Amino acid sequence: MLSVEKPAKYTGNEWNMVRKDPGKVDVRFAFCFPDDYEIGMSHLGMKILYHVLNKREDTYCERAFAPWVDMEALLREKGLPLYTLETFTPLCEFDMVGFTLQYEMSYTNILNMLELGGIPVWSRDRTEGMPFVIAGGPCACNPEPLADFIDFFVIGEGEEVTLEIIDAYKQWKQAGEDRQQFLKRVSRIEGVYVPSLYQVFYYEDGTVMDVLPVSADVPDTVKRRIIKNLDAVDFPDAIIVPYVGTVHDRIMLELFRGCVRGCRFCQAGFIYRPVRERSHEKLFELAKASVEKTGYEEISLVSLSTSDYSGLPDLCNNLIEYTEKEKVSLAVPSLRVDNFSLGLMEKISKVRKSGLTFAPEAGTQRLRDVINKGITDEDLTSSIRLAVAGGWTSVKLYFMLGLPTETMEDVEGIDDMAINLIETCRTIPGESGKALRITLSTSCFVPKPFTPFQWEPMDSMENLMQKQYHLKDRIKKRTRKVEYNYHEAKLSLLEAVLARGDRRVGQVIHAAWKKGCKFDGWDEFFSFEKWMEAFQECGLSPEFYANRKRAYSEVLPWDHIDMGVSKEFLKKENLKAHEGDLTRNCAVGCSNCGAQVYGTGICIKAKQRGLGYGQDAEI
Amino acid sequence: MARMLRFKFSRDESLKYIAHLDVLRLFERATKRARLPVAYTQGFNPRQKLVFGLPMSIGLTSEAEYADIELEEELSLQDFISRMNEGLPRGIRVLEAVEQKNKGNIMNQITAARYEIHLKTPKAMSLYEMDTLIQSLLEREDISVMKKTKKGPRPVNIRPMIYTLSALKTDIDAFCLEAFLSAGAENNLRVDLLMEAFEQETGLKVSILRMHRKALYTSTYNEWKNPFEVANG
Repeated sequence: MLSVEKPAKYTGNEWNMVRKDPGKVDVRFAFCFPDDYEIGMSHLGMKILYHVLNKREDTYCERAFAPWVDMEALLREKGLPLYTLETFTPLCEFDMVGFTLQYEMSYTNILNMLELGGIPVWSRDRTEGMPFVIAGGPCACNPEPLADFIDFFVIGEGEEVTLEIIDAYKQWKQAGEDRQQFLKRVSRIEGVYVPSLYQVFYYEDGTVMDVLPVSADVPDTVKRRIIKNLDAVDFPDAIIVPYVGTVHDRIMLELFRGCVRGCRFCQAGFIYRPVRERSHEKLFELAKASVEKTGYEEISLVSLSTSDYSGLPDLCNNLIEYTEKEKVSLAVPSLRVDNFSLGLMEKISKVRKSGLTFAPEAGTQRLRDVINKGITDEDLTSSIRLAVAGGWTSVKLYFMLGLPTETMEDVEGIDDMAINLIETCRTIPGESGKALRITLSTSCFVPKPFTPFQWEPMDSMENLMQKQYHLKDRIKKRTRKVEYNYHEAKLSLLEAVLARGDRRVGQVIHAAWKKGCKFDGWDEFFSFEKWMEAFQECGLSPEFYANRKRAYSEVLPWDHIDMGVSKEFLKKENLKAHEGDLTRNCAVGCSNCGAQVYGTGICIKAKQRGLGYGQDAEI
Repeated sequence: MARMLRFKFSRDESLKYIAHLDVLRLFERATKRARLPVAYTQGFNPRQKLVFGLPMSIGLTSEAEYADIELEEELSLQDFISRMNEGLPRGIRVLEAVEQKNKGNIMNQITAARYEIHLKTPKAMSLYEMDTLIQSLLEREDISVMKKTKKGPRPVNIRPMIYTLSALKTDIDAFCLEAFLSAGAENNLRVDLLMEAFEQETGLKVSILRMHRKALYTSTYNEWKNPFEVANG
């Protein structure tokens, strides 16, 4: 063990780790995060489900992570299986093995972990007595690329449905039925998708003709589960405190789920609808209990857009007072810059003013309207002027290249914006205006399922690279106060394939993994060449999935999954995008996206304010 | 009752893979969980007034680590020990505490450490053979090993840092080396470096089963003292 880096990642025993006698529970559940411990232990969803499952006396939920390459080599050399940190039990000895799908580039790690854990990677090869392999998380909204490896998927939020699955498992065991019968049982639970109970038919051109249940008692579509009232479900306070520093090594307080701002490129903005808030009273209680039970020295507020939380001033006032007394620091990320938030930052950050991050996403107003970003040049300029006048001298700006309808003019708008900002801040009295430095980052736009851009082609790799070089060139010629970074287009292309792939893409994932692909999200391991070989061997083309414009009439591989937001709405949004029309956000009024079927959260609030569904969808 | 304390703690097998900085953070969090009134430094980035005697390398267990802590109010020693232990994970235990009366900082006071190193030899070996190897090692005036420093690896003569080294036979092919080594801020000899030198000089490839710290010492006028004795006067 001394030969591996950070061996404490593999020995468990952390503070608040749950200890149970595995012999005394009915169900043993291995929660697997398909990435390194330092990433996985930063993930809030895992903490929530670990807590929810272990609250049950009849269930023991344990954790496993993808071993880093040095540890994997050691396991393979010694012939040891991948084990859980709680009891050092091999994965193959569990009743259920659950993976969380946070990003597409972790898919090969799932296969690797299954194999290391002694579980056949293909679902069809698993026999009686072997664990059921399940998966959930945001990427499960298009489960098809993983359909042949996962016994069943959980679509949506897991707090309640996971417990129903455990109940079903116990009933199934008591009934003494076989594997197939368990899958039938869970397929009747709302939010559970059993891919082997659905057959996919294709046209000759490779597009999907239909996805049909194999028998009449299997539902045609699988409806996403949500938690209607966040205050009513358990949120963990006694979270595990790792010994090894992790990426987010702090208490995370989840303010709300969903986002009111339908930015058209953003999957999270559509698949978590409707917005549901936790009350600030409940959050404050959670904060205090968490500090006492963990000893953590930092609390961070977590949500998709902190400024949109209605209880923010109340919560912050209470938290500032409490954290100061307890010598705990408070982090409030994802704020919109305005006078309130700057005042807040002033109060909470005693440390030096480091960087501020903004995400204009696109360089021109036209393109920002296409993506429904809803901010103007003036908004951004005044925000940054405010921040710089307040002493911030380092600003990060995030953009995307390859957004639908983008032209070179839009690309050039990116560095124009940075330079204009530098110029206008020069006039600010004091030192900070002249000291302003901008770091500009571009990522490549990847169209995702359940967004208005789900039909859009991804920009070609050649175009993306040309745009990157063009920007780099222009910036170098114009200023030394702007630093430019960009993301590798090759990685984005693959992400695009896996995000919108169909069931056949599973063959490619398998072939790539067989060639040694793993930790694909890590630059040092990502091998584009191996992936391309895998596509070729499987007779599939990445361009078919990534760069093809899909027709509205096309059956999409994920059409049998119902995330709440209607396809009709997404289509309307897509049309509006091409017209450059904006859509108001949910806080202003309802735009009839379909999520109102859940009858909760902001949908109800909007109704109470007298804003009917679908009225005046345009601003 | 005391406000400035020096305490001794142990670390067992279950937590031996934690790196030094992580041990530090572990204690800071433990004091928060225990709701101990720890004093903080002033300034932008307040830190707990908590200082450790000697870093523990990864893989090392110990029955005698020392640290100094400053509190904002007086506590009885017993109260401190029991509350601290409530906040600490099993695997690390505070064993004893004394009032820290002098101004000295534990980190600058530690000068020597005693270790037990359990190892396995590739084949059966007599104690006589092992003793001979150790003697041949100790007879050198210069044992040069590459030591990682801030400026990159550089050769260091570790011979003056080995005070005593002897072996006990524990099995047909296993020994326990007892080592008394220079330690502390100035001249610290880590066990892994000693074993590297041992292998390099004797040509014997051993596998280390366990590294354990038995004691830490401070010295005044060439006399080894327990860090608690120094704290008292």
